[in-house]
Amino acid sequence: MNILKKWRLWSALLILVFCYFTIKPNFQNIESANKINYGLDIQGGSSFLLELSEDVFKKNLLLKIVSQLELDYDLNSSINNDQIEIDNAQDLTKLTNIVMQSMGLTLNKKTESISIIEIENQFFKKSISDMTLNAVEIIRSRVDFLGNKELSIQKTGLNRILLEIPGSLNQNVKEIISKTAELNFHIEKNSYVDTILLENIETNESVRVMERPSLTGDYIQDASMQYDNNSPVVSFSLNKAGADIFGDLTEKNVGKRIAIVLDGTLISAPVVRDTISGGAGVISGNFTNEEANNLAIILKSGSLPTDISIIQEKQVGPSLGKEGVTKGIYASIIALIAITIFMIAYYKVSGLFTAISIITCLLLLFSLMSLMNATLTLPGVIGIVLTIGMCVDANVLVYERIKENFLNKSDDPKNSGFNSAFITILDSNLTTVFAAIFLFAFGFGPIRGFSISLIIGIFSSLIVTYIILKLFLEIVPIEKTGLKIK
Amino acid sequence: MIDFFKYRKLSYMASSFLIVMTILFIFFKGLNLGIDFKGGFNVEVRSDLSNQELTNIFSRIDTSREVIVKKEISSNVYSVRIESGIGDKLFLDSLKESVSTLTNIEILMSEYIEPTFSSDLIQNAIYALLSSIFVIALYIWIRFDWQFAFAGILALLHDVFISIGFMSIFNVEFNLTMIAAILLIAGYSINDTIVLFDRLRTLSSEEEVKINLPSMINKSIILNLRRTILTSFTTILALICLVILAPVNLTEMPIVFIFGVLIGTYSSIFLGLPIIHALNYESVLKSRDS
Repeated sequence: MNILKKWRLWSALLILVFCYFTIKPNFQNIESANKINYGLDIQGGSSFLLELSEDVFKKNLLLKIVSQLELDYDLNSSINNDQIEIDNAQDLTKLTNIVMQSMGLTLNKKTESISIIEIENQFFKKSISDMTLNAVEIIRSRVDFLGNKELSIQKTGLNRILLEIPGSLNQNVKEIISKTAELNFHIEKNSYVDTILLENIETNESVRVMERPSLTGDYIQDASMQYDNNSPVVSFSLNKAGADIFGDLTEKNVGKRIAIVLDGTLISAPVVRDTISGGAGVISGNFTNEEANNLAIILKSGSLPTDISIIQEKQVGPSLGKEGVTKGIYASIIALIAITIFMIAYYKVSGLFTAISIITCLLLLFSLMSLMNATLTLPGVIGIVLTIGMCVDANVLVYERIKENFLNKSDDPKNSGFNSAFITILDSNLTTVFAAIFLFAFGFGPIRGFSISLIIGIFSSLIVTYIILKLFLEIVPIEKTGLKIK
Repeated sequence: MIDFFKYRKLSYMASSFLIVMTILFIFFKGLNLGIDFKGGFNVEVRSDLSNQELTNIFSRIDTSREVIVKKEISSNVYSVRIESGIGDKLFLDSLKESVSTLTNIEILMSEYIEPTFSSDLIQNAIYALLSSIFVIALYIWIRFDWQFAFAGILALLHDVFISIGFMSIFNVEFNLTMIAAILLIAGYSINDTIVLFDRLRTLSSEEEVKINLPSMINKSIILNLRRTILTSFTTILALICLVILAPVNLTEMPIVFIFGVLIGTYSSIFLGLPIIHALNYESVLKSRDS
């Protein structure tokens, strides 16, 4: 049989088999990496876009450098705006270029008496980026501890984090993701030099302590909520280094109070009764169960290196998305039927080719989206309906060109018509794909879902036109296609 | 046979009029900016209450904030937009708390965008638009000639701009989805124009034909007229299905796109090719011929 020699026939069958096997996992209740994901707007859920403060991070970085200069090089310096000022009277020869470079800093003489140290821009950018990656892990573990296992979290841009949690939202999530969780222990000191007064308005407790913390929360290894006389407290344990510092600290300060400060707020200031050598302690402070649990979670996840704020949040209930998808599917089916009726009325048998092309195109679209593990969103559903339009356009272009060539009495109207129309289709579709790629690159949220399905859709439409539609035109004699003009 | 080319002066005038109208509307009426570009809160609720009742309920939560309630097309879903202000962080929680006591309002979706973040979104949208226009121009220039690139981009900008005017006139909320719609209109417009360009290129490369650009242009339009109309018609058919059955908060996008398809069809017939003539492409063809 002549028909069996056509490569398009075998390719078409191959496409259908390919579609069958790639779409199948979506309908099976198995764990598979190659399924279509449903965006939060479809399945319901919450998304948060978090931004880490660059300013606060810079300030903290500068403070660290100042103390490093003092500890390692015995140099006094001070912070002025975004720079560190250092007195030239000191021995600055220790700060060689190599030393400065290794710290990502630059040293320049500003006046005769003062030099300034600045953070190199590139080094700062990289630090921010690293810090954000670090924060991603911290926030992941915080939300994990609350029992949200299916979350997706990723760094976007330089200092932003996109957190998406499907399903209903635990109200504590917002509370724990936006806390810096910087825990500090300050020792009581009754003097006005280098001290600060801390107050807790709720408990009316106040204490004057040394400005510099004697121990930070960085050493915390684990924390959990416990009950002490029926009221919730947070117990913590420190790692080896932290336990040593804590033991030393408590030994020297028996009888004094030790202020426990979280994010600049005094929680409590118990009196040190004895040396604590095991590195375990308890924080008590009028907590509710929830508050104590949240505190334990953020303490064991570690503190964020800077302030964090929620710059976008979205919570979608499950009913909106379900309704949207159902309607989108109906819209696609009705559009398909309406277009098929119209095309058959206009082009007769060829209209049927179009209907089959559209269905194959949609199958291929879903199959590629499954394979790429792409995310389908509501705007993506609109993109799919437009794919139907693109596919029909390709068909119309081919049919019209064939009819025209037929009128012009070309030798082979089917082939020459298809070929010249396909160049037009390629040109016009490729420009749309280019636009869509840029949409995807710069886009955010709804735009991305839309451009993804548009790009894959156009690609599918091109393949289907080149293989399936051409196959039909090859195997069906022109008298029967309905394209022959009498 | 209709001489489309003859009507070019008329279409230049009509287009200029539409562009002037768009400028006036954007200048005096402005765009109905959504929270994507202004920051603030957007809450979608299902409720049988009236627009006014809902406005009262949501205004009471924080009287200093402006509240705009809009009913979505053909459903009992309302979109409630509340402006950003002091105490944004806790506002969504207090909103939910006060609505949770009411049984006749169901919150379907809530969203907050910080005003500073929305300016980033505007910037990204502009980058997306400019870069895709640039790439389109480059592609046409490589595949055709610079006159085609220029005319194609001009027709595209014309369609995009007038579509924005349409949104201003009908008070359509301008948000990220609308940016997607605009880029889609741009894509559709250039798609339509390129099909005609391609025809003109084929005609002008046929050796036996005597160079006469106006008649070539007219022939290109007429030969493609059926395709242009059929494609626009089927696309609009699919879009009408979407308008009737779109996900509740996305009904406006297909409406804007239908307008875009209409204006894109018009510009590809009446603007794209005549502009190439205006750029004196005829002399290029003639010099190539000799």
